[in-house]
Amino acid sequence: MPDALLARAAQQLPVASLYLFKRGSPLTLDRDEHLATIEAIHTGLAGLNYISNEQIATAVFLAYHLDKPVLIEGPPGVGKTELAKSVANMLGISCIRLQCYEGLDESKAIYEWKYGKQLLYTQVLKETLSEILDGAKGLSESVSKLHEFGDVFFSEEFLEPRPLMKALKEEAGCVLLIDEVDKSDHEFESLLLEMLSDYQLSIPEIGTIKANPDRKPLVFLTSNNTREISDALKRRCLHLYIPFPDADLESRIVQARVPEVPEELRRQLVTFIQALREMDLKKVPAISETIDWAKALILLHTESLDAELVKQTLNVILKFQEDIESVTGEVQMLTNKALKGS
Amino acid sequence: MEKTIVDFVKVLRTAEVKVSPAETLDVMAGIEFVGYEDRALFKNTLSMLLAKNPEEKETFETCFEKFFTFDDVMQAPGSGGNPDDTQDSDAFEDENSGNNPQGQPGGKGSGQGSGNASEAADEAHDDEETPQPTSALGQLLLQGSRSDLMVAMAEAGRAVEVNQIVVFTQKGLYTRKIMDQMGLKGLQEEITERQEAGDRGQQRLAGKLKRARDQLRDQVRDYVEKQFFLHADEHGKQLREELLKKVKLSNLEKRNHKDVQEIVFKMAKKLVSIHSKRRKTHKRGQLDIRKTLRHNMQYDGVFFDLKWKSIKVDRPKVMCICDVSGSVSNYSRFLLMFLYSLAEIIPKVRSFAFSSDLGEVTRLFQNSNLEDAMAKTMRDYGNGSTDYGQMLEDFKRNCMDDVDNKTTIIILGDARNNHGDPKAEILREMYEKSKRVIWLNPEPRSNWLVGDAEMKKYGPNCHQTEVCNSLTHLERVVSNLLKYAA
Repeated sequence: MPDALLARAAQQLPVASLYLFKRGSPLTLDRDEHLATIEAIHTGLAGLNYISNEQIATAVFLAYHLDKPVLIEGPPGVGKTELAKSVANMLGISCIRLQCYEGLDESKAIYEWKYGKQLLYTQVLKETLSEILDGAKGLSESVSKLHEFGDVFFSEEFLEPRPLMKALKEEAGCVLLIDEVDKSDHEFESLLLEMLSDYQLSIPEIGTIKANPDRKPLVFLTSNNTREISDALKRRCLHLYIPFPDADLESRIVQARVPEVPEELRRQLVTFIQALREMDLKKVPAISETIDWAKALILLHTESLDAELVKQTLNVILKFQEDIESVTGEVQMLTNKALKGS
Repeated sequence: MEKTIVDFVKVLRTAEVKVSPAETLDVMAGIEFVGYEDRALFKNTLSMLLAKNPEEKETFETCFEKFFTFDDVMQAPGSGGNPDDTQDSDAFEDENSGNNPQGQPGGKGSGQGSGNASEAADEAHDDEETPQPTSALGQLLLQGSRSDLMVAMAEAGRAVEVNQIVVFTQKGLYTRKIMDQMGLKGLQEEITERQEAGDRGQQRLAGKLKRARDQLRDQVRDYVEKQFFLHADEHGKQLREELLKKVKLSNLEKRNHKDVQEIVFKMAKKLVSIHSKRRKTHKRGQLDIRKTLRHNMQYDGVFFDLKWKSIKVDRPKVMCICDVSGSVSNYSRFLLMFLYSLAEIIPKVRSFAFSSDLGEVTRLFQNSNLEDAMAKTMRDYGNGSTDYGQMLEDFKRNCMDDVDNKTTIIILGDARNNHGDPKAEILREMYEKSKRVIWLNPEPRSNWLVGDAEMKKYGPNCHQTEVCNSLTHLERVVSNLLKYAA
């Protein structure tokens, strides 16, 4: 049994996850077992270096068992997108991503007819056409003869599936990530509703495409809250808010992501970042910046924070010149605090 | 339990968390998977399914804590102080555990004969046979567990519909009702009976029951008070808000200002969420050649898909001229408050204040908080008799050059010019240069032509004249401002 599973998993895994697979991550478990309990989700995600809190794990658990999409909100850089990718990795299924932007429409999100191919085929088949119509007299007769062939040019062969449709057609299930849904237009939100509540899409020329009822895609939507998402969409989703982590969680995240950082330094830099978040900045550093900074400090062979070094690497964590200027004055004080706090 | 969830949803709704019936159903389905045992898990589940933005999450948090927590009931309820009970203070679990607690203390009661030390000593006096209470409530009080009692209280509360409580003074009534529902009458009868019996053991039991009864009364009162805060308080607040929205702004008293400010922010937030998306209107009938060409390259240059020109609706550029003389100042105050709360979607507001001389106060409002800015404006411009002619002249001299065909000019005032020269021709000039001139007048339309009012001359030189004397009016004006900003 496990062998069969292994084979199946190996076939579908992208290269990156295969690597993880070899390292002995718990991929031998079946999907259901991974999502059976909240603890299993915790450990599963932790195995992929994604440290989740109670809310996150509960959201994944409920999403699977209630067949509901998850709408993730929170400040940038707290791991919203990463969560979806990690879940896909954990379950060993593919992650289909749809990046939203202003002007995204159904031809980019759901499907498109391959006009070029249709054109080409009509050109090529022109001569065959006259053979088919051979002997037909008058317009009505030839039209009725053509009708016998059905809608050849509007069949699945001429359909170019886009992310949403791809996700539905994935027999083994998949994770569908609809990224930054707040960047899309209002109309697009309404377009998503059918997909999100019933896991199906209607295409006028073909009919309704439904997901495999046992393996519905797990849908994650992320939003940066640049605008309010419509109530209709919210109603269909679980709402997960990921805030900035507290010191303890952030320390664990850094440990998981950058294990080379010595414990001492890790505590210092987490304390420093936490203090920065208290300040009045244009853009406060997120977890991703903390991780980047930790990596940078490792490259510089740092053992312990000092004011000079912090000043030089400030551009890793702060992305506005204004912020950098306002923080530079405080660096000495913040560094001392971080050193003392650890 | 379903009833409890429904009740909780009701509480959320009164606290302005929008919950649809479908979401309530989702919660039921969700609970089937997570169960009630783990309080944190239960809470997370509910939070995810019911509260769908950060503000709602916060409200949810407080509501949940209020609704699903009960104080330690019956710290030392007679002899029934089962030590285990002190640990599970989680109400939802308790509500689940006792199915029919009212009638039968059952298994739990029997194992609790010897309670704490003092009680034990007490009982040592006559350990042959302590009489047992016979009334249902008496049994519950002395033998049932804390949680059983809590459940009984909650159920009685539900039976008398304590969630219908509206005003503070109803607390006594509901306390009484709940006590009655729980079987107070039976208990009273038993107490009198036992007191009259004369036997020492009987009398002691009667005393014990009495004490327990008084304790219970306190708890029920407490429970009712909590229910009041949960169900009625928010309701009262909503009523007040509705009222404040409609009241004439000049009649508002100082103590209401804070409430009104809150309402203004709330309304502004609503407007922001409605209008935050920049709309496009399609200019029908005009082909966008560039877009069409580019888009149809993929089809070999065959024009399958035509693209039409569309224009983006611009954010309005607002100039707001406010009369700040005594009678109208309150209106100006709230108009400015409204406009500056909308900074997110109307970034370009310039504001001017006058009673006779016009002065720009844009800076003031941007840099200091509303109260200070308003006070300073009043100090600097508030005195003197109103002179609209002077105001228009000043405007022409200082700002006319900045007016372009994208500017909306809002003038707020009663147009009472103290019989001075109205200089309506300047307003005419503004009318021609700007996109729109809106005149907001706090007086009812019938007074517009009475006495020294000059609306007759100003009116025709405005695109729009509106009566505006309450928050509802203000909201409508501002909303229109955004909607027709094309």
